[in-house]
Amino acid sequence: MTESNGAVVRTRGLTKSYGTKRGIVDVDLEVHAGEIFGYLGPNGSGKSTTIRLLLDLIRPTAGTAEVLGHDAHDAPLDLKRQIGFLPGEMALYERMTGRDMLRYFAYLRGMSDLGDADTLAERLEADLSRPIRSLSRGNKQKVGIVQALMHRPALAILDEPSTGLDPLVQQEFYRILREVRADGRTVFLSSHVLAEVEHTADRVAILRQGHPVVISGLAELKAQALRKIELYFSAPVSPQEFSRLPSVRGVRAENSMLELVIEGMVDDIIKVASRYRVENVISREQDLEEVFLTYYHDGTDEAATPPTRVAAGVAGEGV
Amino acid sequence: MLRTIATKVLRDSWRGLLFWNLGIAALAFLTVGSYPAIRDNPELNQFMESLPEAVLALIGESDLVSPAGYLNSQLFGSIVPLLFLFYAVGAGAAAIAGEEETGTLDLLLANPVSRTRVLLEKAAAMLFGLVIIGFSLWAVTMAGALLVDMEIGAGRLAEVIVSAILFGFLMGALALAVGASAGSRGLSIGIAAAVGIAAYLVQSLAALVEFLEPVARISPFYFYYEADPLRNGIDPLHAGVLAGTSLVLVVLAVIGFNRRDLRV
Repeated sequence: MTESNGAVVRTRGLTKSYGTKRGIVDVDLEVHAGEIFGYLGPNGSGKSTTIRLLLDLIRPTAGTAEVLGHDAHDAPLDLKRQIGFLPGEMALYERMTGRDMLRYFAYLRGMSDLGDADTLAERLEADLSRPIRSLSRGNKQKVGIVQALMHRPALAILDEPSTGLDPLVQQEFYRILREVRADGRTVFLSSHVLAEVEHTADRVAILRQGHPVVISGLAELKAQALRKIELYFSAPVSPQEFSRLPSVRGVRAENSMLELVIEGMVDDIIKVASRYRVENVISREQDLEEVFLTYYHDGTDEAATPPTRVAAGVAGEGV
Repeated sequence: MLRTIATKVLRDSWRGLLFWNLGIAALAFLTVGSYPAIRDNPELNQFMESLPEAVLALIGESDLVSPAGYLNSQLFGSIVPLLFLFYAVGAGAAAIAGEEETGTLDLLLANPVSRTRVLLEKAAAMLFGLVIIGFSLWAVTMAGALLVDMEIGAGRLAEVIVSAILFGFLMGALALAVGASAGSRGLSIGIAAAVGIAAYLVQSLAALVEFLEPVARISPFYFYYEADPLRNGIDPLHAGVLAGTSLVLVVLAVIGFNRRDLRV
């Protein structure tokens, strides 16, 4: 099915300029057959631009993009039978029912039936019988996922797929992605939230201002990532005691609360904290901003520019 | 209806198309139904004869009492081609730019369909819509003519309607080309409607305003109407100009659409 040592997606120096803003610069990616590849970056970092280049919806300023062994622009039309796509700014045919839209796409893809659509819809609890305009954001997203996967594509390109899905459905969706991988098929998954890919992705690329700053296995990435915990004490506690600890990178005190930026295990922190009366511990999911924290601190450029903080409480969710 | 892009367009727009048909049918029925009142009023022609040359030129018909003169002045000289124009421009602008602005074009093109195919199928759907409306107009006018005993040739009536369809399609193809090349529905409607209305005005004023006469010769409206297809049948050359220009515009639309980045 694919040539050239199993690279399902390969970009070389892929660049797209839009005047001064956005776009991507010199992106080199290699996505292997049978993996789930996480493509991470904050909003506006160029994820959707890359994806739209892969699908030949836009054309590169420089560089090349190959999908399933063919140049994205010159690929034979039939190649798209093997690709599934969920757009980030997803818009569906609002006046059709989900099932009618799936039937339409099935015809265009030359399918004799709806493929896996019914199984997928059942698992995601997608309602295919109602007009799409009457569905909530999350329920539209489910229909979008079904159309992207119903024809068992060799490569599924999913842009922010779990936007609006409730947690249980999200878990089922991740299971589906793992089954796709087990089937030897490939998933290219973009997200601005690390949590979205950490349960599934084998490797990730992190995009910053249109350029990947790191491409690595997810496990390594998480080990390096900084994250935050908040400790609520009955009475104010001296921050110095914590800032000395090897895993602590930063401390901020506010009344009787300490916010710690940490790397690695929390064991020593818990041991110190246990000497006091602890009312609450809040450890948030690492979100991308926090992963970026790592690369901004280690990076040479713009070290003085901290990433914009996501307000506590909404971190880890799609914004 | 979901097997092709073209039939999907018709499926999506059937309600709108139905209203267009009802509207056109009502217009034809009322117009033809009023004919006996005109026919039984021969003073009207005497009155027309008394009008100054310039006013007659503006009206475009000196003979309002004959069936052809009546239908030309009431339908085919202005309102019918303008309605066809508006229908086609709406469809042409919606075809690519409309779907792009709604945001579904990315999703559609991720399927194994080329941009060229999407555009050609949508152009075909636009033409089909025009033909349907044209057929309603023809059928209701013929039925009404039978009822009020108005002598009108079925073939000649069809010819003027075909000519109007060609005119409408040309303007729709312009809207399609602008929309496919620029990705903006508003721009597409604006340009095509402006050109279409200018074409109409130039042609109808040319009889009065001397310096407009050479300009009128390149107006699409001239090629639709000048040969008076209701009386004389379609002029193959004029019809060919309309069809040929449409073809060129569709080719330009394909080229423009294939070359550019789609908007988010």
